[in-house]
Amino acid sequence: LFSQASHNSRLEPVEPVAGSTEVIARISDLIADLRPDDVDLLAAFHRIQHEFGYVPREAVPLLAGKFETTPAIIFGTIDFYSEIRTTPPAETTIEWCSGPACLLKGSLNIRRVLEAILECEMNRVSADGRFGLRLVQCDGTCHLAPLVRHRGRYLGPLSVSESIEWARELTGERGNGKGEMGTVVSPEGEAVSSGSGEATDHGDKERAEE
Amino acid sequence: MRATPAAYEELKSRADEVWARIASPSRTLIKVGVATCSRVVGAEETLAALRREVDAQRLEADVMVTGCLGLCYAEPLVEIIQPRGQAVLYQRVTADKVAALLSKTVASEGVAAEMALATTVGRGFGSVPSIESLEFMRGQVRRLMANCGVIDPGSIEHYVARGGYEGLIRTLRMKREDVIKEVQDSRLWGRGGAAFSTGLKWEFLFNAKRKPKYLICNADEGDPGSFVNRNLMESDPHLLVEGMIIGGFATDADVGYIYIRDEYPIPVERMTEAVEQAKQAGLVGRGILGADFNFELEVVRGAGSYVCGDETGLLSSLEDRRGMPKIKPPFPAQAGAFAMPSNINNVESYTNVPLIMRHGAQWWAAMGSEKHKGTKMFSLSGQIKRVGILEVPLGTPTSEVVMQMGGGPPEGRRLKGIQPGGPLSGVIPAGDVDIALEPDPYRERGVLMGSGGLVILDDSNCIVDLCIYFEWFAEDESCGRCTTCFAGTRRMLEILRRISSGRGRMADLELIKLLGRIAQNANCFHGQGAPTAVMSMFRFFEEELLEHVQRNRCPAKVCRGLVRYEVMHQSDLLPKAEAICPTNAVIRDNGSYRIDQAKCIKCDACREQAPYAIGVVDEFAGV
Repeated sequence: LFSQASHNSRLEPVEPVAGSTEVIARISDLIADLRPDDVDLLAAFHRIQHEFGYVPREAVPLLAGKFETTPAIIFGTIDFYSEIRTTPPAETTIEWCSGPACLLKGSLNIRRVLEAILECEMNRVSADGRFGLRLVQCDGTCHLAPLVRHRGRYLGPLSVSESIEWARELTGERGNGKGEMGTVVSPEGEAVSSGSGEATDHGDKERAEE
Repeated sequence: MRATPAAYEELKSRADEVWARIASPSRTLIKVGVATCSRVVGAEETLAALRREVDAQRLEADVMVTGCLGLCYAEPLVEIIQPRGQAVLYQRVTADKVAALLSKTVASEGVAAEMALATTVGRGFGSVPSIESLEFMRGQVRRLMANCGVIDPGSIEHYVARGGYEGLIRTLRMKREDVIKEVQDSRLWGRGGAAFSTGLKWEFLFNAKRKPKYLICNADEGDPGSFVNRNLMESDPHLLVEGMIIGGFATDADVGYIYIRDEYPIPVERMTEAVEQAKQAGLVGRGILGADFNFELEVVRGAGSYVCGDETGLLSSLEDRRGMPKIKPPFPAQAGAFAMPSNINNVESYTNVPLIMRHGAQWWAAMGSEKHKGTKMFSLSGQIKRVGILEVPLGTPTSEVVMQMGGGPPEGRRLKGIQPGGPLSGVIPAGDVDIALEPDPYRERGVLMGSGGLVILDDSNCIVDLCIYFEWFAEDESCGRCTTCFAGTRRMLEILRRISSGRGRMADLELIKLLGRIAQNANCFHGQGAPTAVMSMFRFFEEELLEHVQRNRCPAKVCRGLVRYEVMHQSDLLPKAEAICPTNAVIRDNGSYRIDQAKCIKCDACREQAPYAIGVVDEFAGV
């Protein structure tokens, strides 16, 4: 009785839908050793997202079969968690911290300029697919507030002007200002290591920090 | 009394040997703190540079990784211990400073005074104070954090040598009931925010007879601005492992899960490694240390959901579905994970237990206030000079932590308020900064002390703006079950946004209060707690709120709909403002500058470039 308590609709494995046979084979491999009712579904999401950068649609029926439930419940679960994505990430994703320390130090100004310069709304991908802006939760790196993250690097504390110059450099537009771009700044505001001059991504697919 | 199992004896003697080389090194020992807060300012690069330089210069030195001392504001931190000299902690040692640091210290047996933060052993000297005398450290009592920044978090030997797993050894010689009684005698209550007796919860699970039983650690720490659990897990992971094993024994549980939020990759990695080491050492698994006790332990990585930090939301998440909080009763002790008896505690609750079992309930309860025993970790962030993580006895005045240890707001600013806990906890005003850091004085003010975050507001911040953030967060993270929560927070957010855009009306205030009352009918604390911050705005910041509603003015000049940017007078700096503007809203007409209000997104960049020439004025001045 209790082994079935977690879902009220256990079904026979569903037929896989059409999709890439390669993707289906790879996902099947990735989840082969997982079991229902063994706290494995989250692990399945992470493995698939680590492999593809997102959870492809082919995964939904496969997971439903594996975890003895319906595709609707699987999709509802994917949809529930903000770190699990169902669309491929943009060429370059910029993560904007939404936390309170960043907010109190002016992160909304930074959000506005990123949205304006990258021509991209929060949690969307720009029309040309180059840039994605992603809202992320506070991870307690508040000594860098306000901060953004890019390719696993943390940039902060950022002034609005620094954010603008950095974003312009990303888009390839020549910045007018003279500030250090993409500079990691120490809590005292002194530049401690510059870099990210390589910020123009040479088309290499970046994957969200795993 | 049963003999201490041989496996532990072996581990202990090996550990003592390993630790002896760290505690009194025969040649220079360099410790580099690598944890989330230091990694983001380049600690890994510092570590690599140190190893490279030590090799290249053939220095007589060993380089070791350690966790985090909690001094986020001074990272990356490097401690250099010289066998015949000083033990000094150096601050902000980025990779480019490594060569200079080594030549002044290891190579010449000296001290690089200009980079030194403090001495870590003995008294200070010259301009370098002892670590205990730093304002950030004075008044702290480090019990949970005793190993943080001291041992290698990847070494079970370091943990064991410093008294680790002694509490477990003592536990395994006792009856389960006596272990629970000892935890109850300590008067430890849950550190996750609800402040319910840990021992009593354990008794509920112990009394449940169905098997298997689950013991779960809530390491979801979703409250933005709280990062105390993170520090403990990445700096001393075995403390949590030991606490879970003791809890498993006391409650007769079979399986333990440590549920860590996805935003914490380093804690996931280090806890997984620690659990694996504990398995290898026979501390987790079947027949633990020869006792008739089996306990499996597993680390689970979340996927980004705040309500999974609610205990029943976490249970749903473990059960392969949406992490929606469940309706109670049944309580977890009756029907929790997979409908079997379960117990859920916070990281800090479990990590206190090894200390109680090692030193006894009486020792443990000697610290703290009359009513609230023990120490508590807090994280400081926001408008504060020293961002960091610290540990103080419960009952310590809030002002001591915020103003002395944290250093208060930046120069020239005034403290406005403190937001403890998380978005559901409320805000206390600056005038109450002297209240004791323990649940009661906060509760009297309609605020929750919460799980350890302290976010500091100063006079540059707007309370309405902050409340919009809290309501947005509550709405965004609502699971969608209760209309009072998912729709109530949405309505609340709409009203607050209306107020911040200059269209507020007096009737809104009553509507907000009504929504606040309705929210109490939500199933879980997410909905019930959602209006707390707004209610504390009514209680402590009413004047500022009324200024927004009645006069359409934001005194802090933060609310975007209530201000506009204007050129106050012409200046040589205005060309820079024109250049920086991302929307070309700074316009030059016949040699004089003005701002095109239709284009301006009010991002403040022009004022950064031309601080006196450009001003922020009330949009509805004189209304």
